[in-house]
Amino acid sequence: MAKQKAFYFDASACTGCKACQVACQDKNDLPPEILWRRVFQYGGGSWLKQGETLVPNNLFTYSLSTACQHCESPVCRDVCPTAAITKRADGIVLIDAEKCIGCRYCQWACPYGAPQFDEETKVMTKCNFCYDLLDQGLNPACVDACVMRCLDFGDLDELRQKYGDLAAIEPLPTDKITLPALVITPHKHAQLSGHGTGQIQNLPEEV
Amino acid sequence: MIEKNFLTKTLTDTILSRRSFLKWSAALGGTAALAGGLNFGLKTVEAAAQTAGTEGTWVPVACWHNCGGRCLNVALVKDGVVIRQKTDDTHPDSPDYPQQRGCARGRSQRRQVFGADRIKYPMKRKNWVPGGGQKQLRGIDEWVRISWDEALDIVASEIKRTLDEHGNKAILTGRFTPSQFLNALGGAVMSWGVTSDGAWPLPVFVMGGGLPASFFLPANDRMDMRNSKLLVLWGANPAWSSGGNPAYNLLQNKKAGGTKVIIVDPFYSPTSQVLADEWIPCRPGTDTALLLAIAYYMLENNLHDQAFLDTYTVGFDRDHMPEGADPKENFKDYVLGTYDSIPKTPEWASKICGTSPDVIRNFAQEWATTKPAMLISGAAPARTSRGQQYCQAFLTVGWMTGNIGIPGGGVFERYHNVSSYGGPSLVQPGGSGVNFLPNPLFPTAGAFGGYAFSGAFDTDYYGMAYEEIWDAILNGEFTASVRGKVPCDIRMMYSIFEDSGSNDLNQIADINKGIEAHRKLEFVVSGDIVLSSRSKYADIVLPLTTPWEKAAGGLLTGNPEMLLCYSQVTPPLYEAKDALWVERELCTRLDLDPDEIYPLSLEQQTFNQLAGATVMKSDGSGYEPLLTITADDISAMGIEGKSQKGRISLQEFKEKGVYQVPRSPGDKFTFVAGKAFREDPIANPLPTASGKLEIHCQTLSAIINAFGFMELPPIAKYLPPAEGIEGTFEDFKTGVKGEYPLQLVTIHYLRRSHSVFNNVPQLRRAFPQEFMMNPIDAEARGLKHGDYVLIRSRHGKVVRPVALMDRVTPGVVFLGEGAWVEKDEALNIDFAGATNTLNGSYPTGQGEEPWNTCNVQVEKWTGKIPDLDYKWPQRIPIEEA
Amino acid sequence: MNVRDWALIAFTILVQMSVGAMWVLRVAHSFATRKYGVEEADRLSDRALLALVPVIALAFVASLFHLGDPLNAYRAVTNLGSSWLSREIFFGVIFAVLAFVFAFLQWRKIGSFILRNVIAWLAELDGLVLVFSMSNVYLLQSQPAWNSWATPISFFATTFLLGALAMGAAFVANYAYLQRKEPGCADTQCTLMREVLRWVAAAAVLLVGVELVVLPMYLATLASGSTTGLASVQLMVGSFGWALALRVVLAFVGAGVLAMFLYQNALSAGHEKMLGNLAYASFVIVLAAEVLGRALFYAAHVRIGI
Repeated sequence: MAKQKAFYFDASACTGCKACQVACQDKNDLPPEILWRRVFQYGGGSWLKQGETLVPNNLFTYSLSTACQHCESPVCRDVCPTAAITKRADGIVLIDAEKCIGCRYCQWACPYGAPQFDEETKVMTKCNFCYDLLDQGLNPACVDACVMRCLDFGDLDELRQKYGDLAAIEPLPTDKITLPALVITPHKHAQLSGHGTGQIQNLPEEV
Repeated sequence: MIEKNFLTKTLTDTILSRRSFLKWSAALGGTAALAGGLNFGLKTVEAAAQTAGTEGTWVPVACWHNCGGRCLNVALVKDGVVIRQKTDDTHPDSPDYPQQRGCARGRSQRRQVFGADRIKYPMKRKNWVPGGGQKQLRGIDEWVRISWDEALDIVASEIKRTLDEHGNKAILTGRFTPSQFLNALGGAVMSWGVTSDGAWPLPVFVMGGGLPASFFLPANDRMDMRNSKLLVLWGANPAWSSGGNPAYNLLQNKKAGGTKVIIVDPFYSPTSQVLADEWIPCRPGTDTALLLAIAYYMLENNLHDQAFLDTYTVGFDRDHMPEGADPKENFKDYVLGTYDSIPKTPEWASKICGTSPDVIRNFAQEWATTKPAMLISGAAPARTSRGQQYCQAFLTVGWMTGNIGIPGGGVFERYHNVSSYGGPSLVQPGGSGVNFLPNPLFPTAGAFGGYAFSGAFDTDYYGMAYEEIWDAILNGEFTASVRGKVPCDIRMMYSIFEDSGSNDLNQIADINKGIEAHRKLEFVVSGDIVLSSRSKYADIVLPLTTPWEKAAGGLLTGNPEMLLCYSQVTPPLYEAKDALWVERELCTRLDLDPDEIYPLSLEQQTFNQLAGATVMKSDGSGYEPLLTITADDISAMGIEGKSQKGRISLQEFKEKGVYQVPRSPGDKFTFVAGKAFREDPIANPLPTASGKLEIHCQTLSAIINAFGFMELPPIAKYLPPAEGIEGTFEDFKTGVKGEYPLQLVTIHYLRRSHSVFNNVPQLRRAFPQEFMMNPIDAEARGLKHGDYVLIRSRHGKVVRPVALMDRVTPGVVFLGEGAWVEKDEALNIDFAGATNTLNGSYPTGQGEEPWNTCNVQVEKWTGKIPDLDYKWPQRIPIEEA
Repeated sequence: MNVRDWALIAFTILVQMSVGAMWVLRVAHSFATRKYGVEEADRLSDRALLALVPVIALAFVASLFHLGDPLNAYRAVTNLGSSWLSREIFFGVIFAVLAFVFAFLQWRKIGSFILRNVIAWLAELDGLVLVFSMSNVYLLQSQPAWNSWATPISFFATTFLLGALAMGAAFVANYAYLQRKEPGCADTQCTLMREVLRWVAAAAVLLVGVELVVLPMYLATLASGSTTGLASVQLMVGSFGWALALRVVLAFVGAGVLAMFLYQNALSAGHEKMLGNLAYASFVIVLAAEVLGRALFYAAHVRIGI
């Protein structure tokens, strides 16, 4: 039985350079409006007066690269009225553009913002794990592109054995809803989902 | 943008989807119809790409930019179309032997080469006639397509006319050395100065004994860095300013060596977030003060390496001065305040640099006592007014630790594509074989032009500092170091250069002044791949090719451990030509023999570089040829040459696109800079005036003073720079803020390589050119995250969306350099956020540009809110019929 | 708010109103039959029933504008196994078909009373399942503003509130028509209309009461849950506060104040003109209130996560 494919992300090494995001757009011929993989900058803290200067207080920031989680319990697949979204035996979740009617229900349902509406084709589109490359024994474009080598992929169980089972840090939502196939090595300042004290520092329309 | 009524919009939004259209047209066998016909925003290339399968050929292509990196870029070509790209996968990846992986810019290279905004045809500004025509319309005029013949005729006749009426001194080639044919005609005016390196080149050379050609002090190499117990990165953010591996190398080195990392920067940068164990905020332009306080702490606690200073340096204290120097001008007494009664204590420094005194003391303790330490500076703190004082201070206070010539230790500047690298280059190309014809107006400048020109005492050059170009055009004079003011009469700006990127109007301080200067000239010609700023304000624009279209292919250098080889992947697009062809054509029209001026074809030049490429022998004892080139190879290339034997075959090199020397810890290429000097400073003196490291450097002082822009003491002293922290106050002493209370840092920004790539939509989405501000400063102005703000300096105004983040120091704001000025003439506001709209021209030191000392004020923008950059229409000067 | 959002507002409002209307018609028809016989009952309700046909048709046409690729809309019923949206479309299409068939048969008096009655029952029961499915569509864990007990309650409240007032207006219009065409039946129909309108008014007051009680409880619960929920509340009382206030005021005026006057005027004969004005006015005002309320539903939801 094929095992669940999953992404691994090392938040302690990511500088937010977006090589992964742009490489994905290149591989999949995406226009600037569509980001199958997105990179967030999350951080917070404050500055306190100390004598005549201001000093940083609990200052923290880190980057997060995320695409589709190819969830074990994909809510997008469950809610899609035309059954356009399917989950392969290896766990990869795919949208069939032929069947999609662009109702955007999956976009309402997915906590990760993975399905996005393509204004040109008028249907939904999302990360497909570069399944065509995987089928040839190659790696997803984002993994090969990562300049800090913080992206990897593999079988979910093996990744968990190697790196632990953390699957949610801010600004990601809790992993309890859709059981994302994702393993994260946290940044030293990473905050657990739902317990964040920071903000997303990207401009609203950037991610 | 056509405003559609509700019904039309509804129909086109929903019913007539492109996908349905594709299905139908495919069924009707009409995919070809997509290229023309109905416009749903399709581009020919992308339409074809969608029908492509997974076959095709991988071809290594050029990633040729001045990005501080240079990595392997490979394109998948099918049916003549580049479908997608990949990066280095020529060998398994490891920290010791890392793949040369490209950044977001390189990953979107095909969008730049094949963008809909490529300049397709030679163009003339509609309202130009010889003499200038309606000059005030430069930048806002219409474009008319003309033939190459007409374009070249105009350029040649304008050159001829200008030479006849005004002479060679009336033609300006900006920051770049004139084309050879211009030199053959008597030369042209070329500018000099320093850009990315800031104030570093001269101190490196005369204080530290660096080699003039390299601009860098010799540094320990990447493997040796793992021997460091402490790494200090001062004003360096390689994650953004050195694309590719440097940030990865530094992280891997840190892990391998267990190294503690401290980063000094007003920005808690992306490099800091993965690397820094401690972050020391420091206001721009005030690093010198912080360094002096560190020195004070070391002196106070006797933590400096006196023995080292006595033996290897001059000028530290009154007992070790160089010959002829005033004993009072020693560094130690200055720091202690012996003569000026101002001891440079952490409290003193804190008022200037904003860092808390406790933090300064803890930092100084680490700096002084954790050894071996690599104390590495970036260039940003040197890109300030009076930047030399920072270089003097950094080197001096670094040398006080004695971390020289030892494994894991060093004091040097490292940035651009040698960030995280050191040692000699392990593989390099041969020369192109071109015999450079010098510029008669600037005989001492080589092919590198006036960059880091240090001939302040020369009297035979005719050219101004970069920061004086616009003033020179407008006011008719420039500063010629010891000669004082020299008159000039510039009539023409010539910018036809290979490989794009020479965007003077955008990249020199004070764009508003630059535009005014452009509108005074009689003739402006530009060769370009897209309508960048300098082309937008030109009279004639010539479409040039990119290296992807270059039949001869070529080589590219980056970091010292590898060499890149690129091939052509498409014939020249539309009517684009390479710069060499243009220059040869101009020769013919100017009664010059093109074969005489340009005897070597591009193919021959590339071959020369290939044949002459050398790689360090595996025992580190010297170099050997890199490539085996057969007689078949030579006849296939159609050039002259001899076959040779080397390490790898030419075929393999061309197929892979890269040769990288494998490394491992302790290998034969591990390099410790200054080892010989450390072992025996008498037998192995440095090439400085004293043979030692010059803390008191009369040479530096004399040269800088001779340039005439400022007076520099021979030792490091803190003197307020123009538009530094002091410039934010009405009165620094009373602490009353002035009209421009914030300090602007013009940071390297990942959307671009300086100003190149600014037009690529995917990059504009990824990097929105946000203005970065601390929430404290924002709140004081009623600003919220995402608001649009008006940023004003003494020199210009820009509008940008603001991103609030605590990781920028309060009082300091950041904006990426290189956005293409998009000036609203009526409002006198630049909506693209070109930082040089805000930077004023303050020629300083050796002619560097002090971009990081600039004061601004910020308020909410109450006018029409623009779209985010990625939604702006592309600059397509002539629409297809 | 764009074309797609308005399509959904139109679709959900019109469909819910139609379901509610069919139930109101059934109740009114049963009551009328018992008291005055089936012919008078038909005279009361047949035209109102027919009026539902274009409303339902319009609702489904409107829904197509919500899709990116409406030509494939037929596929929307293929995931009944897990998708509430699929189920909604499925039950929706059945509702439309049954309603059209019933309206046609009833109009032409084709088939036995039992046959037509069964089809009507099927349509109405299916309509309840339809509204139930519709509300389940919005019970997504990622949408705190929607994932609430308040959603099905307000959907059903809208169903019967709009259904009642729409039919109230329809009955008045029907009576006006009858007065011109069949002067003889005026008296019985008048009494019948007044009796039915009293029930309509009472239902309206009761249902708007439910809505106005649910609203503050919903907002308070939402604000004290997740930060995302709070963000929705901030939108609803902040930037959209004017709309929320207007929605409440209109509902109160239309289904509260005017409904009470409607009830009062329906108690005795002689106020037919006033009754007409009140019935139309309260329907239009409450329709506006419900549309505003539904618009807020679509405008102020904030999804958790990124």
